[in-house]
Amino acid sequence: MGVVDPEVSKTKFDRQVRSFRRLAADYRRRGWFLADATFPRVLVVMTAPQIKPSPVITGVLFDFTDFDLYPPSVRLVDPYTSEPFLAKDLPVQLLRQVPAMAVPFQIVGQPGMPVPKVMGRQPLMQAYGPEDVPFLCLAGVREYHEHPAHSGDAWELHRADGAGNVVRILEIIDKYGIRPLSGFNVALEPRIIGFAQTDIPE
Amino acid sequence: MADPKIAITVVVNGEPTVISANPHAPLRSIVEKALEESGNVGQPPENWEMHDQAGDLLDLDRKVESFGFADGARLFLNLKAGIGGQL
Repeated sequence: MGVVDPEVSKTKFDRQVRSFRRLAADYRRRGWFLADATFPRVLVVMTAPQIKPSPVITGVLFDFTDFDLYPPSVRLVDPYTSEPFLAKDLPVQLLRQVPAMAVPFQIVGQPGMPVPKVMGRQPLMQAYGPEDVPFLCLAGVREYHEHPAHSGDAWELHRADGAGNVVRILEIIDKYGIRPLSGFNVALEPRIIGFAQTDIPE
Repeated sequence: MADPKIAITVVVNGEPTVISANPHAPLRSIVEKALEESGNVGQPPENWEMHDQAGDLLDLDRKVESFGFADGARLFLNLKAGIGGQL
């Protein structure tokens, strides 16, 4: 059972949905479609219009139960069933570039040479194993603030900045998960279907 | 004569606010105004990023006029990801 009066959360939920609908044409142009908004859940389907033919990439399911005492829960889900993706099935990892933690010795060890900026890749979608449901590791998301590793970064520090807004979270998913997509990776598997024959004798 | 200003709607985390922009000022000035007028003063301007309707990130150091925005153009201002992606 929730701890916030559902009417309070629903009022704030309605405000978020209204904001989205007001600019729905802009968001649709970017490939975002509001598929369902029935309190406490919002389902947005994200596509990649920059790729032709344009693929559906993921559903994003928000749950505003107890909002905004707590931030919304955010899951990447199968857009057809609303089932959360397991880590092994995630269509996108939301990779971001971050400064690498360790710089190789041979790079820093050359006197007079500028130290190059070494970057690493870090997924914003985090899970402990391929069979786990991953969570969006981002301030403003319930799963992030509930994780013990982030007990020092309380939701209260972000709530007033709109960090839990639907549009803000979609922007982050779009930036790291959708816009970087440039095409399809294709694997071709050759199959032997018979012998090649160059000549047919009389 | 004062420079003509243009009206730009800045959508801050999904909420629109109309800003009167000086075409000769850097885009950064719009960010600061929009954050102030929308009451988003908890995070400094450098923690926000602005993009156009197509979702393209905009350089805040460029002058407003260099983008060729029409009067009433809509821009989007969003809180950056900050730290994250670590367990």
